[in-house]
Amino acid sequence: MILPYALCSVNFRLLLPVPLGAATMDATLRKGFLLLTATVVGSYPKLPAQAGAPNLRTALARLERGQITAEEFQRTEDLVTEVVIKEQVQAGVGLISDGQIRWEDGQTYFARRIGGFSINGLIRYFNNNTYFRQPAVTGKLGWQGPIGVRDFLFAKERSPVPVKAVITGPYTLARLSQDQAYHNLRTLVLDLAEVLNQEAIALQRSGATFIQFDEPAILKWKGDFALFEEACRRLTRGLTAKTALYLYFWDIGELYPDLFHLPFQAYGLDFVSGEANYQIVKEFPSDKELGLGILDGRNTRLEPVEELVEGVRRMSSVVSLDRMYVSPSCGLEFLPRDRANQKLVRLVEGVKKAREALS
Amino acid sequence: MTKGLLTTAVGSYPKPDYLTQARNRLARREIGQEELRELERKATEEWVRFQEEIGMDILVDGEMYRGDMVTYFSENMEGWAISGLVRSYGNRYYRKPVATGPVRRKGPITLEWWRYTQGLTKKPVKGMLTGPYTMADWSFNEHYPTREAFVLDLARAVHEEALDLEKAGARYIQIDEPAVSTRPEEMELAVKALGIVTKGLSAYTITHICYGDFAAVFDGLLRLPVDNLDLEMTNSNYNLLGLFRERKGKLKKDLSMGVLDVHSHLIETVDQVKKGIRLGLEVFAPERLYIDPDCGLKTREVEEAKAKLRVMATAVREVKQELGIE
Ligand SMILES: [Zn+2]
Repeated sequence: MILPYALCSVNFRLLLPVPLGAATMDATLRKGFLLLTATVVGSYPKLPAQAGAPNLRTALARLERGQITAEEFQRTEDLVTEVVIKEQVQAGVGLISDGQIRWEDGQTYFARRIGGFSINGLIRYFNNNTYFRQPAVTGKLGWQGPIGVRDFLFAKERSPVPVKAVITGPYTLARLSQDQAYHNLRTLVLDLAEVLNQEAIALQRSGATFIQFDEPAILKWKGDFALFEEACRRLTRGLTAKTALYLYFWDIGELYPDLFHLPFQAYGLDFVSGEANYQIVKEFPSDKELGLGILDGRNTRLEPVEELVEGVRRMSSVVSLDRMYVSPSCGLEFLPRDRANQKLVRLVEGVKKAREALS
Repeated sequence: MTKGLLTTAVGSYPKPDYLTQARNRLARREIGQEELRELERKATEEWVRFQEEIGMDILVDGEMYRGDMVTYFSENMEGWAISGLVRSYGNRYYRKPVATGPVRRKGPITLEWWRYTQGLTKKPVKGMLTGPYTMADWSFNEHYPTREAFVLDLARAVHEEALDLEKAGARYIQIDEPAVSTRPEEMELAVKALGIVTKGLSAYTITHICYGDFAAVFDGLLRLPVDNLDLEMTNSNYNLLGLFRERKGKLKKDLSMGVLDVHSHLIETVDQVKKGIRLGLEVFAPERLYIDPDCGLKTREVEEAKAKLRVMATAVREVKQELGIE
């Protein structure tokens, strides 16, 4: 029997040999039976830890000097992505990303391919000591065709476990851009929601069963929640794939509990920089799933397994283990490659220990 | 006649080509540490002469011997290791300091360079330190259980360095805290840490802060225990001055006002800079207003940096003449 990953939006949980028919599958899924899925938030370090491995830094420098072609550069991106997929799978991560190896950053990857954007100078990325080129909105925004579909399919074809598709959400993309055309945050966000909805639909058509929207900016500007809610409704319109909202770098604060009534099936929160989430999330809808970002994605300290088990234990009274994901607190690109890999291995060890200890 | 409008710089200047090449050659082990040191001294002296030539008042050594502002300090302390490569932006990668044990000074870090530079000139040379909050925020921490413990230990180390500089004769000490503006929720920690650094110092203290949402942290900035706040102004088109204007008359700190955009190749005109200075003078008396570039100039070409600094010096001189400031 082949396990048909693409059949159902949540069928990556069906890694256990069970008789499958669409109906029984749904029933089984509703009960849920695989406890705790190890996943990632998205990004992964681009450079290898060892010399000799495919190296994007060298390749990009050579591309800029005109020593290799765009096709040759893309070949390096592909090779690195293959390595990164393998590292996640070998670590035992149950739901992976493509590592966002081709992303200059969370904004540019989309802004470059959406009509109405140009790319400006460097600015700091939230409270990190990293920078990105700020997109500038210079005209009416419009979807010009698939942005991440090719990359998603590339990863999906190479991964034995399900791959999540990740989209930087409209609110964050708008907030991190310079608005030179709309002069109105609301219409800008809502237009971007339409654009990114088309992107999500395209990903869904290409077989994406788990579509994640990253929206860290709403935690910084919580007062915009009404607008955010309106944008999320447009963003998720027509989607039947499982949708997830990922929020990191801060706790959710006063967005609780309204946040959990948005049209997403899963929520990924940061329990490291947002440690207060342990106290804030007192209740969680029983029909939704919660991602626990409990492994620090921004620090090299390797958490002991017990610390991870404790994190899961603390939230297990609020969410049952079959509705829980465990992940790093944010993308892993803030770390050197070898440490990112060690963190994933540790994550999976923690998940296994927590299953034993808590189920 | 009133005094004031002293000119200075934020810290770093671009390294001349011969120095950049020498640093690469050192990395390839083609030259030794002492050969590099000799060129760093030469470059430092050239910058001192340039600053004297254009008539700047408070000089900096230009940081010819530093790479990254955090790494330079961590490399000269105990308790640190260095990480694998992490990305800063685009195709820029760097190795980040990692605290692996208690972070302590092994001995003076910047003292020798400060003495060397001060020995070249009669003008005062600023002592230049990276602040504890920024050191911690821009490093990995594998040792301390909390960010606070990490920051405060660093504050004690930076304090020792400041004391050494003061004992050696430094009249101006600047503690850079660019990370402070990015986490309003940790402002109190930054205030506490800087308080440890500046405690008991009689030198004039300055802190440079850049790239952030200043409005969100402004009250905190005013509570930072230093004599002078050094902020970028051209980058915000002098809008930042509005925050000071609202509190005019109640301000206890002096301001170092950035009048040169360090991110742009374009050289400001004398009139542009004069206009900026006059805006500053609407809020601050001349003796409480210092004039400098927005940030370190190290990312500009040597000639661009010099041209910008010349414009700044000319603009200040003209404004002083027009207003009868000494
Ligand atoms: Zn600066």
